Amino acid sequence: MAKQLGAFVVGDSDKCTGCKACELACFTVHNQKSNGVGRTVGTVSVPVMPRLFLVKGETFSVPVQCKHCEDAPCLNACTKKAISRVDNQVIIDEKKCMGCKDCMMACPFGVIMLAQVYDRGKVLRQTTGEAVKGAFKCDLCAGREAGPACVEVCPHQALRYVDPVEERKEKMRRAAETLAITKTL
Amino acid sequence: MNAFVKGNPDLCMGCRTCMVACVVSHTGRHIFELDPDDYTFNPKLHMVKTRAISVPVQCKHCENPACMAACPQKCIHMEDGTVFIDTENCIGCKACMEACPVGAIDMAPVSGVYQPDGKERYVANKCDLCREQSGGPACIRVCPTEALKLVSYEEIADTAQERRLAAAKANADGSLGAAAQAK
Repeated sequence: MAKQLGAFVVGDSDKCTGCKACELACFTVHNQKSNGVGRTVGTVSVPVMPRLFLVKGETFSVPVQCKHCEDAPCLNACTKKAISRVDNQVIIDEKKCMGCKDCMMACPFGVIMLAQVYDRGKVLRQTTGEAVKGAFKCDLCAGREAGPACVEVCPHQALRYVDPVEERKEKMRRAAETLAITKTL
Repeated sequence: MNAFVKGNPDLCMGCRTCMVACVVSHTGRHIFELDPDDYTFNPKLHMVKTRAISVPVQCKHCENPACMAACPQKCIHMEDGTVFIDTENCIGCKACMEACPVGAIDMAPVSGVYQPDGKERYVANKCDLCREQSGGPACIRVCPTEALKLVSYEEIADTAQERRLAAAKANADGSLGAAAQAK
């Protein structure tokens, strides 16, 4: 059986201008069904909470998101088993999440956030009246036919969808051709 | 400077003995005496076959390794002329795999270690020049056509020097140089 590894999206800081189109697209896609976001600007009734993070330093900007690790610390840390692997991707079921923050502490990339859960534009509340908080992170726009929205909308092609198995094959092929060039040594 | 194992596509016949030797060297198991279903086969070098050539590809043990810079867990180290992965803290994030321009890094299961969802633990896997085994890289030792060799920086530098000398001589002797044109 061929090896299957989770895909992921990476940003290129050389191309990124920090425009945040990726963040907006991410938020829109993930709130289309549950919160009705996406028809017009006026439909946005919940805070804009993307699942990837545009990070700006003094000399660079680049979006950072989940790498869908193969030995995922978040998945291993989750005592509620709210994080699982679906089609090789690491997916959080925020309905199962109890907001313990273990996944946030475990993630070495800092790409999981805890936020209020909204349903149909309203804050979901516990029986005590407290807002329900859930863990959110990149799910590669699971179920979206065109693939991750961030990759699609970036005006500078600064985001790339990586299929690690296929990319490795191509890199090894190039390396083999290089060996044919350097064989006289 | 780090040395590395280099395959020669003119000599390689694609038999994959190097891959087998790599697994035997790193697992210590006599896989020829085992049922193929009873062991995991995760070599640290990979045979590439195209229409024109066959040659194994493995880590170049770069001097400024992109994998080492990319690792969030600080699992990749450079010591005694070898870039190697300490898989104990590896989380299988594939950052090194994505960073490596050669495609030398793979993700391999740690047999018998499972995550809460039942999937085996996967960690990064690449050539370590058989640093923990005696006798040097196993792939070099077993290749029936001697298509693999360990290349040191000194050897590359010496060859470069010889080539410069040859180029200069050709210039001085031949018709290429300005001096020759002036005659």
